[in-house]
Amino acid sequence: MGYAVSPLLQRIHAGDPVALRSALERHAGSFNAHPYLSTVAIGALARLENDGGDPETFQRFRTALRGPLGALGDQAVWAGWRPLCILVAIALFCLGVEPRVAALGFFILYNAGHVWLRLWGIRAGWAAGLEVGGVLNRSPLRSVARRLTPVNEALTGVVLVLLVARTPGLQFSPAATGLATAAALAAFFAPAPGGRLGMLVLFAAIAVWWI
Amino acid sequence: MTGLEITPGAWLMVVGLGTLLGLDAISWPQTMASRPMVAGTIGGMLFGDPAAGFLAGAWLEVVSSRHPPFGAARYPETGPSALIAGAAFALSETGSTLALLGVVLAGWTIGWVGSYSIALLRIYNGQLMGDPAAFGGDPAEVARRHRRAIRIDGARAALVTGALFVPVVLSVRWLETWPAGDRGAVLSPLLAVIAVAALAGVGARLLGGRREGWPPFVLGGAAGLLLLWVAA
Repeated sequence: MGYAVSPLLQRIHAGDPVALRSALERHAGSFNAHPYLSTVAIGALARLENDGGDPETFQRFRTALRGPLGALGDQAVWAGWRPLCILVAIALFCLGVEPRVAALGFFILYNAGHVWLRLWGIRAGWAAGLEVGGVLNRSPLRSVARRLTPVNEALTGVVLVLLVARTPGLQFSPAATGLATAAALAAFFAPAPGGRLGMLVLFAAIAVWWI
Repeated sequence: MTGLEITPGAWLMVVGLGTLLGLDAISWPQTMASRPMVAGTIGGMLFGDPAAGFLAGAWLEVVSSRHPPFGAARYPETGPSALIAGAAFALSETGSTLALLGVVLAGWTIGWVGSYSIALLRIYNGQLMGDPAAFGGDPAEVARRHRRAIRIDGARAALVTGALFVPVVLSVRWLETWPAGDRGAVLSPLLAVIAVAALAGVGARLLGGRREGWPPFVLGGAAGLLLLWVAA
């Protein structure tokens, strides 16, 4: 955070090294939020420094921003946008798209959203300053995250079937395919301890059959 | 013994790319080039088989989805691990399910080795930047410490990649020959098929495991089957 906000602080406090040092000390401490949405905090904090005010308020504001930015970024990016881009790329690969094209497609599509989010964040933070909470509430990020959830679930189903079909050795032998299906279903539907027990029994049965 | 030759140049190329992919995840620039699918494809491309690398990476994506990076959660590092897995699968002799299982397990394990090394790095970073008053609010000192943290992250990723690349390739080559004999010929692909399918189930549960998520998941599966049928 200190490194990212430093160029703005140097412009804001140009000619006042004491104020610059003091501001940098305030912002160089630990700041844990979503990395892309941290730009919202950078913009908002720079705006506060620019407008002047009580450093205690800056510190409280900085602390208050961490949780909401982290939660919103986790939902919108880590649980929404990123899985969507990954699943689309894997589906394309399984349907015969050249692997380099699928991987590059993921990279371009994902980063279009990533870079837009960083730029939007710094602009929104700078424009809103202390009012940035309202901007976050009105932003489309929450609804995007909500809408992407069922899309990702459906795509997971598509990708799983296509990926299993694309994997060598999974198409032959009815016995192996039946056992594989049973194992996959057990792993999917059983709660974690039951799933582990089921897998253990399955492997034990195979070991007994082998001996 | 294996008939496999990895030149020092190829090893250096893997280490260099592993360093960049290791940096991408956390230090800079977080473009997700370090996602298993991309890193695996790069690993496969280095040894002439991008499709093998992508497939290994895609399975690692499924497995990695178990640990999303929410909040302060610990999760496996995917860049160097998928690079090695993709390269190892491209270098495998048979490209079999057993080899795929081997590289996925190896990638998963390396991912956790990377994760623990990142945890150590974060402790160091905490000491480096923990007390802003110690460097007197000097912008140049902040930049110096920031760059030092990035250099150490790069060295960490290089060490993980360099130390584990060749052992993983050789282990997968060995695994492909296991177990010998008639029973082994039946057993090893069967076990591999079951394990891969179980991984698929785990991945599906984690990505689409909410109760209200089952209908779209099942519909998606049906759409996938339809696509396969149309493609056939």
